[in-house]
Amino acid sequence: MFELLGHGLLTVLEWKYLLPLFAGTLVGVIGGALPGVTITMTIIVVLPFTYGLDPLQGLATMTGVYVGGSAGGLVTACLLGIPGTPSAIATTFDGFPMARGGAPGRALWLGIWSSFFGGLLGGLFLILVTGPLAAIALEFGPWEYFSLFVLAMAMVAGLAGSSFVKGLLSTAIGLLITVIGTDPIGSVPRFTFGSEFISGGFPFLPVLIGIFAFAQIMSDIEKVGVPKTPGAVLGAQPSLAVSHLKVIGEILGRPFLLLWSTIIGILIGALPAIGGSAANMLAYDQAKKFSRHPERFGTGVPEGIIASESSNNANVGGSLVTIMAFGIPGDAVTAVMLGAMTIHGIQSGPLFVSQQPGLAYGIYAAYILAHALMVLILAAGTLFVLQITRVRLAVLAPVVLVLCVIGAYALNNTMQSVYVLLIFGVFGYALVKAGFPLAPLILGLILGDQIEINLIRAIMTDDSLLLFFTRPISGGLLFCAALSVGLAVWQHVRHQRRTPREEAHDF
Amino acid sequence: MRAVLRSLAVTAALGAMVIPAAAQNYPERPIKMIVPWAAGGDTDNIFRPFAPLLQKHIGQPIVIANVVGASGTVGAREARGSPADGYTLYAVHDYIHLVHYAGVTDVKYSDFEPICLLSATPSVLTASPKTPWKSWAELADDAKKRPGQITVGATLGSTSHIFPALIEKAAGVKFKYVSYEGLAPRMNAILGGHVDLTDSNLTQKGKVDAGQLKFLAIAAEKRDAEAPDVPTLKELGMDIVYAVQRGLLVPKGTPAAVRAKLDEACGKAAKEAEFADAMKKQGTRVSYLNAADYGPFLDKLDRESKTIMTELGLAKQ
Amino acid sequence: MRLGRDSFAGLIFLSVSLALLVQSFGLPQLPLVPVGPGFYPRIVLIFMAVMSVALVVQDLLARRAGVAGVGAPAQPQRAYGLVALSFAIIALYIVLLPLLGYRIATVVFVAAMQATLERPTTWRQWAVLAAIAIGTSALTYLIFERYLAVLLPRGSWTNW
Repeated sequence: MFELLGHGLLTVLEWKYLLPLFAGTLVGVIGGALPGVTITMTIIVVLPFTYGLDPLQGLATMTGVYVGGSAGGLVTACLLGIPGTPSAIATTFDGFPMARGGAPGRALWLGIWSSFFGGLLGGLFLILVTGPLAAIALEFGPWEYFSLFVLAMAMVAGLAGSSFVKGLLSTAIGLLITVIGTDPIGSVPRFTFGSEFISGGFPFLPVLIGIFAFAQIMSDIEKVGVPKTPGAVLGAQPSLAVSHLKVIGEILGRPFLLLWSTIIGILIGALPAIGGSAANMLAYDQAKKFSRHPERFGTGVPEGIIASESSNNANVGGSLVTIMAFGIPGDAVTAVMLGAMTIHGIQSGPLFVSQQPGLAYGIYAAYILAHALMVLILAAGTLFVLQITRVRLAVLAPVVLVLCVIGAYALNNTMQSVYVLLIFGVFGYALVKAGFPLAPLILGLILGDQIEINLIRAIMTDDSLLLFFTRPISGGLLFCAALSVGLAVWQHVRHQRRTPREEAHDF
Repeated sequence: MRAVLRSLAVTAALGAMVIPAAAQNYPERPIKMIVPWAAGGDTDNIFRPFAPLLQKHIGQPIVIANVVGASGTVGAREARGSPADGYTLYAVHDYIHLVHYAGVTDVKYSDFEPICLLSATPSVLTASPKTPWKSWAELADDAKKRPGQITVGATLGSTSHIFPALIEKAAGVKFKYVSYEGLAPRMNAILGGHVDLTDSNLTQKGKVDAGQLKFLAIAAEKRDAEAPDVPTLKELGMDIVYAVQRGLLVPKGTPAAVRAKLDEACGKAAKEAEFADAMKKQGTRVSYLNAADYGPFLDKLDRESKTIMTELGLAKQ
Repeated sequence: MRLGRDSFAGLIFLSVSLALLVQSFGLPQLPLVPVGPGFYPRIVLIFMAVMSVALVVQDLLARRAGVAGVGAPAQPQRAYGLVALSFAIIALYIVLLPLLGYRIATVVFVAAMQATLERPTTWRQWAVLAAIAIGTSALTYLIFERYLAVLLPRGSWTNW
């Protein structure tokens, strides 16, 4: 096996493969860093270029995009407070406060090195545990998926700062948004009030871009003309210089955090239909739960960044497991990769690794090398990144908004998504002003359709609702969900007794 | 203000005059191809290799736009609402007839003009490895003993639902349907044994060779050279030939000169050896019809779809 | 007793969820699906209604407990007028996008937004502003349309 991997590495080190891999990683980092441009969009854009290449060249390019994109989101998340991709949402929670607090370099490099180590650990799992992991994922029927999603939401609502009730209400709003539009089973229009516009539903990405980008930019615009509080914005000369040894030490000095976040990332990646956007939030919540000082989360603690960034790159490894072993895409990005494989005539599935070892180990090698390239690109691109943070709000705001509009438009090539972007931009800003946390809303939005589909599938397969509790994995997951809610309520009550109520400012 | 309005009116009038001339020079900018399903799905996989070939013969970039949602009807509506100038193509398959009669959407195939039929993908009845049946005969026996208990994963009201429903009718059995939209989620469910049966195609052959799936029957006229062991439904005594047919349409009202150019380029692209190779990898054969033949073909398909949907009780009254 | 901000939000969400809950009973049944398209929305809406009530109760209890100034913490002055103006400019941009076309609308938008946030005083600053507006539009257009195969909206008024 290691012989095969070594051979794969030597192959990918040839210019013929290294160049596309480098290009893919670079494009991925840029796409990931641009708010409104997701990894999915980046990989779709890259796809046509891969037709003319040989299969490994094409797959190396796309692996590069995936790895680069998963890491690139952290640049914008840390320095601008806007997640460049949904998989960097939780990175903003602590990355941005840390950067604002005068340590942008530390925030950035904590993210980059966490991505690196998380990704490499993910790669190790990818190579070693492909078989067993995929077997577990296959055992998940609709009951297990439903219960897993319930658990995910219960955990994230607990993350919602000062008010647990507001966190749960926020989750409900997210779920409600996915209900509006056409029902996913029988295409019956729901709550559309006869409007063609609403009947298409509110696509996830424009809603996400609208809520995050607008809430962030408008909160900045609020402060125009107001005397700046010290440390509220990055200084004129934010120094990204940092001791890499120290940062790496900070990460490796927390082996359990790193390992646990990585495992969460891999598991979520290996389960189809969840994706990196849920992985980073779950890992962040776990880090907070296990921390000795959970109240400091959200103020710029390194644990928050490490959890989020190591989990989202490990998630890439997990997703690759599922497509390599089963030919089943875990998310939209791997769905595109799978499509590219079939276009090259490669039958992905259980026989893939044994029948095409050259290609399989080539992908493993490309995955590992992409992480090294990602670090190099970000190291060299730091100066460029610095430029972004130095731009004045008056220039930055319109340019970012234009990119958000393009991102929403290009998703479906329709103005519909752009209108959705605006509506939810206003709505998200109003919610922030009313003190609602946005993270649970986003999770509700990501999982909403899947929760409903799996619930209905379970009922269509067998009309006994008891199965949700009696199937062992499903029952166990629901038990954990109940436990998580109980724990959050208990923590909240205890916390409230000790300290007076405070306003939630996080989003 | 009035001056602004006047200048706008002039601009609009000029714009209106430009249009007829534009048909002569067509195409002068990139053309958008609306694929109403996700990137990486089986429809996307068929049109993506076709796009560069069409591009070669039409002389402008063909840009694929995946407009997904609500059983492919969001894309259909988007295509119908696009300007009829030849810069929007609509990649379609049989679902357009079915969802219309199921009452999912008011969009009809006749809201468009035909350009060409490209491919046909025969349906294959596929069983989970966790089921006990080794052949159609064993399944049929079991299904008769347990009516309404054998589960089928399907996109409700679309081709993956119609195909097993035709078998139900021919064999006199009753299945239970569970909603799994798209081939990928269906494959996941069937590998895990969460549904018993589904409609798939020859692209899943790798999983069959690995013992992870069972092909029970193919809905083609003849056995396929790629999977010679799989009997046809006709051999098994059911007169069912079913394939998913994919082609290109443009919004109604597109100038005839523009359609003729597209038709010609499409014909050349479909005859490229590269396209045939790409289709073979998708478990599909090239089944080309030009615009003149595709129109009547669609009319016939629509009549058949209406009959099937009504007979199966899926049509909306 | 005056209602706080949270009570207001809670009451709004409560009324929305109750109104939609009533609507959900009007949804049709599907022949093949045992529970119908209103089943899951009802679960979500009931959950939402319960949480809204909880939020109102929590707020009222907190007020009764006499925590002073819960709804109105001392906030620094904020430029809310500018936020409203920015939203208006963005809305106008989005409305004009399919009419003027991406290239023209974007130049106008970037220029207007910049001038709103930081009004230039010298002709030099105006020139920089214009350059940024045109540059943003041209560059994004070039990258997305030429290299990234994203077709941006064309204007129905301008045909450009």
